[in-house]
Amino acid sequence: MFTLRRWWDKNALKAGLILLAIATAWGVRQTNGVFISETYQLLTRPFQSQPSAKEQVENAYVLELQQRVIELENQNQGLRELVDENKSSKLQTTTMAAIIGRSADNWWQQITIGKGTQAKVKVGDIATGSGGLVGRVISTTPHTARILLLSDPSSQIGVKISRSRSAGYIQGQSGERATLKFFEKDPDVKPGDVIVTSSFSRLFPQDIPIGRVSTINSDASPAPEALVQLSVPISNLEWVSIHPFTPKQDVDAAPAKIVTDDVL
Amino acid sequence: MNPYRPQPRPNARQHFWNWFVTIGSVLLCLLVLPMRLPGMDVLGVGPNWLLIWVVAWSISRTALDGAIAGLTLGLLQDSLTAPAPTHAFGLIIAGVLASRLQQRRFMQEDLVSVALIVFGLALITETTTAVQLSAQYIFDEDSLYKSLGAIWQYHQRVALSSAILSSLWAPALYYPLKRWWERLNPKGPK
Repeated sequence: MFTLRRWWDKNALKAGLILLAIATAWGVRQTNGVFISETYQLLTRPFQSQPSAKEQVENAYVLELQQRVIELENQNQGLRELVDENKSSKLQTTTMAAIIGRSADNWWQQITIGKGTQAKVKVGDIATGSGGLVGRVISTTPHTARILLLSDPSSQIGVKISRSRSAGYIQGQSGERATLKFFEKDPDVKPGDVIVTSSFSRLFPQDIPIGRVSTINSDASPAPEALVQLSVPISNLEWVSIHPFTPKQDVDAAPAKIVTDDVL
Repeated sequence: MNPYRPQPRPNARQHFWNWFVTIGSVLLCLLVLPMRLPGMDVLGVGPNWLLIWVVAWSISRTALDGAIAGLTLGLLQDSLTAPAPTHAFGLIIAGVLASRLQQRRFMQEDLVSVALIVFGLALITETTTAVQLSAQYIFDEDSLYKSLGAIWQYHQRVALSSAILSSLWAPALYYPLKRWWERLNPKGPK
């Protein structure tokens, strides 16, 4: 008892400091590093470019293509209404945000953007960039948000081949590539086919372009696989658009609960 | 400020500055992590600043101090990325090893040795993450990676780039921190 008491007298301050340090680190972890993200946003603010810079880069050709896409979309919408299909949900844009940081670790593929809950960015929103889908928002602070890229191995997205409607899902490969796994044994696919998100993706709205098929491995088991070149140049992307989206089901729920939801 | 002047015990003011510098340097490392400035990027991989800090801290302290620093900084890095698999394991091992290496006199405290230590420990830290991911692949049904081969192939790329960059940048953080801690406590801490 006495030795314990003497040890405590000698080391109380040190033990207290150690506990304080670990408790602080734990607290920061539980709050998803809100304080650090906010400080980072504040410090890098002078170096962040403004949206006007991007508009200057957009040349007339892109504008022309956009006009034509809008025209085609409108025609498509009209035709869809004629054949009485469900209205395709058109993407609304919450905001444009600058990418202010990359992943704080080499194993996760994430980016940090300079807009947060104050600009109505919320968890589950999706991010697109020039070229197509970028990822989805996984955590927010008042002025920053963290986006899980679709190149992260933990991103799995239901997709389809735009030409043939063959469905499958893609999984990131930590680079500008992803693996597409088909659901069927003999999918209609060839190199160069465009991949878009499919309607049964729970986390993403349908028909957002993702990339192109580069090679096909028909020997893979249990179903063929294809290597997909992502169309967004993620490593030198500077801007993303955030679109509001609510996942169709609670992805954080336990699997059993999702099953009961399906049954009901 | 003569470093050889005998100092009885650091007073309250010195204590304050010591903690200010210590916590400030950790914060600085955390803020530099998401940045990819020119020269800090090989194959999309940046230096592991927290590892450099843990080595700088542990190299003149006990193994327990090293482990605690590793745990604290590991939790902080988790807060910036994803909680599982945790970074704490790798950094704890790095902290303990850095302290043991120095105590056993395997390594001196000069800049080249520190760069070498950081190189080796960066490999070990990334390996710890890869081992955790492999364990997840073997024991957990929904693994992040599709095969063990994919994990270890990616591990090669990350470990080597991270080790090279971390060891090159190590002196930039190690030297100022070492000088500061030496000046504050010339006889060596504790």
